[in-house]
Amino acid sequence: MSAPVAVSVEKLSKVWPDGIRALDDVSLEVREGEFLAVLGLSGSGKSTLLRCINRLIDPTEGKITIFGRDVTSAEGAGLRALRREAGMIFQQFNLVKRHSVRDNVLSGALGRTGTLRSLFLLFSDADRAEAQACLDRVGMGDRGDSRADALSGGQQQRVAIARALMQRPKLILADEPVASLDPALRNSVMRHVEALNREEGITVICSLHDLDLMKRYATRAVALREGKLVHEGKPEDFDLATLKSIYGQEAEFGFGEAS
Amino acid sequence: MRRVAPVPPSLPTRGLALSVDALLLATFLLMGEFLVRTLAFPVEEGALRTAQEILERLHYALLGGAGLLLAVLWHAAGRLLGGTPGLSFAGALPQSESEVPWDHTLRGWFTLLFVELTFFTGWLVTEVNLGTFFTNFDKAAGVIRGLLHPSGAVLFEGLILLIQTLFLAFMATAFAIPPAFLLAFAAARNLTRESPAAKLVYTALRTAMNLTRAVEPLVWALIFISWVGIGPFAGVLALWVHSVASLVKLYSEQIESIDRGPMDAIKATGAGTLQVLRYGVVPQVIPPFLSFTIYRWDINVRMSTIIGFVGGGGIGYILKPRVDLGEWGEVGTLVLLIAVAVWVMDLVSARIRERIV
Repeated sequence: MSAPVAVSVEKLSKVWPDGIRALDDVSLEVREGEFLAVLGLSGSGKSTLLRCINRLIDPTEGKITIFGRDVTSAEGAGLRALRREAGMIFQQFNLVKRHSVRDNVLSGALGRTGTLRSLFLLFSDADRAEAQACLDRVGMGDRGDSRADALSGGQQQRVAIARALMQRPKLILADEPVASLDPALRNSVMRHVEALNREEGITVICSLHDLDLMKRYATRAVALREGKLVHEGKPEDFDLATLKSIYGQEAEFGFGEAS
Repeated sequence: MRRVAPVPPSLPTRGLALSVDALLLATFLLMGEFLVRTLAFPVEEGALRTAQEILERLHYALLGGAGLLLAVLWHAAGRLLGGTPGLSFAGALPQSESEVPWDHTLRGWFTLLFVELTFFTGWLVTEVNLGTFFTNFDKAAGVIRGLLHPSGAVLFEGLILLIQTLFLAFMATAFAIPPAFLLAFAAARNLTRESPAAKLVYTALRTAMNLTRAVEPLVWALIFISWVGIGPFAGVLALWVHSVASLVKLYSEQIESIDRGPMDAIKATGAGTLQVLRYGVVPQVIPPFLSFTIYRWDINVRMSTIIGFVGGGGIGYILKPRVDLGEWGEVGTLVLLIAVAVWVMDLVSARIRERIV
């Protein structure tokens, strides 16, 4: 645990205007190179936590820094520069459906492209070569000209990973990246996220609800329940008793006694 | 997530419900008096005269007071009589009550009676007369015979002006696209939530567009005829104003219904506002925008006929004098030309719109 801190979350709370407290005094630290899984039931605040880190959501209280720079007080160009450091992957992929796969990946470079050029989708040759390399990396190199909505879910998510990679991020925020996919395809997507973590040293924060995936890919995990951080530890620390405290006594776990 | 307990309706909601109830009850009383007076004491000049008499001698404060009193009583006796129509309108009906079948509530029966009262009042106010409708057909026969025997005399002139009409409608639509496209983003609620200034622009723009749309194209035509003179260009401008206002509404509603996901994804790359709009919003709305625009052209063709009546160019311009002179054969020709054009436009635009979306 000697690596420098990548993301620090201090006393983070989010209260929606309708009074729902999505996050309640959450504090955690993520070191560079870690693969942190965030566990919890739907509605436990996982997604809100990830979206606060790149300020897609403004937190109500608390402070977040990524790589030592304060996100919570950043505005305008400063905020956009911080967002570029963090690639995001979504449960619903969120590709621009009517654009080609290549243009979707190129949109990862928007943060460093001039506004006028980007309005007409004029990206440099260097950007185009980089986009091709990102696509090759996720095994989609031959699908650059397809329309995004012509791809299967697993393929779309791989394109979304390529788009995040195009940002040249130091951090990946993955919000339930495989929850919408067929279970048989989940590992094919998770392996690409893992590769970015292992080979590029990109820090990953990934919300999951599948415990097998957590045990296989995460180096550390935290659990949220009703917006509160209720558990933190190595994947192997999450035994049956812990899981029941997170998911409730009625929960059943397919693998029986956690090993 | 913890949810706070359901709260009783807020003061503004209660106020809204009470005002709606008072208005409904006062209107109910007024229509009741009108019906009784018209049926019991008919006057020579007809029902409108009775209505005028009632309104002239009416003590508005008294009527309003009576409506308000009844509304307050109903609200106070809510436990016994059930929720009021106003509460339902304000969306403040308790869950337990909105599940009761309508004919088990006073609210339901009151609404039924109110609609019936409106129908009978309307019958008198619009001077419905089934007698003349069924016996005086022969007076219209001449007109219909003329229309069914189109005269070839105006066919050529009519065809040329029909083509002008199609272009007139097209130009009005084309000129409307750029301003409507730009304004639509500022008139979309989901894009203007972030700052108070943007909210203000949203409200101002929506109000301005609603007011513009409320003014009939016919009135815009009169304005532009005195501005640029009689002719098709005045018609183009009149339809242009109306088209901008309509397209802003249609476009912005489309923007409001987009999937937020791609916007979030583009925002997360560190893109600026214009880039987020270009990549996260525009690709999603282009096909419906095209569809609305073609539909608008279609509507403009229909409207330009009427615009022509007052001097806005197109085929309506030569139709008006022939109607006035009773040249029914020539009117028949022109009407037929318009009907065919509208029918073809309708078919073609529906087909294209199907292909796009």
